[in-house]
Amino acid sequence: LVSLVLVSHSRTLVEGLREMVAQVAGDEVRVTIAGGTGDGRLGTSAPLISEAIQAAIGGPLGRADGVLVLLDLGSAALSLELALEDLDPADRAIVRVSDGPLVEGAVIAAVEASVGGSLDDVERAAAGAMSLPKMVKA
Amino acid sequence: MPDLTLTILDPSGLHTRPAARFVQVASRFESRIRIRQGDREADAKSLISLLGLTVRPSSEITLIADGPDAEAALGALTLELGPYAVVTPEVIG
Repeated sequence: LVSLVLVSHSRTLVEGLREMVAQVAGDEVRVTIAGGTGDGRLGTSAPLISEAIQAAIGGPLGRADGVLVLLDLGSAALSLELALEDLDPADRAIVRVSDGPLVEGAVIAAVEASVGGSLDDVERAAAGAMSLPKMVKA
Repeated sequence: MPDLTLTILDPSGLHTRPAARFVQVASRFESRIRIRQGDREADAKSLISLLGLTVRPSSEITLIADGPDAEAALGALTLELGPYAVVTPEVIG
């Protein structure tokens, strides 16, 4: 299955989001998180993101079919870029970064991953969340 | 092509969690499965498509399955929707 990495300035935010994702999509999809800085402040950290991506990829026995990273704002992208540069080419080849919104994208991507969707499918599902209306117009 | 019409009972309509469960069950079947509400249709195997349909409470949806396991798929999906929707009785006459 495809795994997800959730990146945010806040650890609390991604912990809560992971909980929500597991409740909607089930617990078969591996979801790792990187929230806040190494010393527990709000912010992002390339080493923490690196760890989360490695954990999402998994070892040789449980290697993911792909990894989709979803992130919040600003420096998250910069830290993520550094973390991606750290990866082996073979690992980098199966990691993609989603343009989708963090919350809706994560939930929808996880459901797509849970039914065995490919990395393309999961990436498309998360990006599609951009156009999902928040409220139905009466 | 078998189809089945259901009425949504849940006061929140077909919201995220049941919709996700529905997609997971639908994906186990080979048949192409669609949900029709009024003149709009969604792919039952895509959560984004299903949420985009915004199925409201008390509305009617029609499940349409096309493929070798179509009947089984409709059966499983009706069962899955059990707490949220009932099969609309056919009007005789």
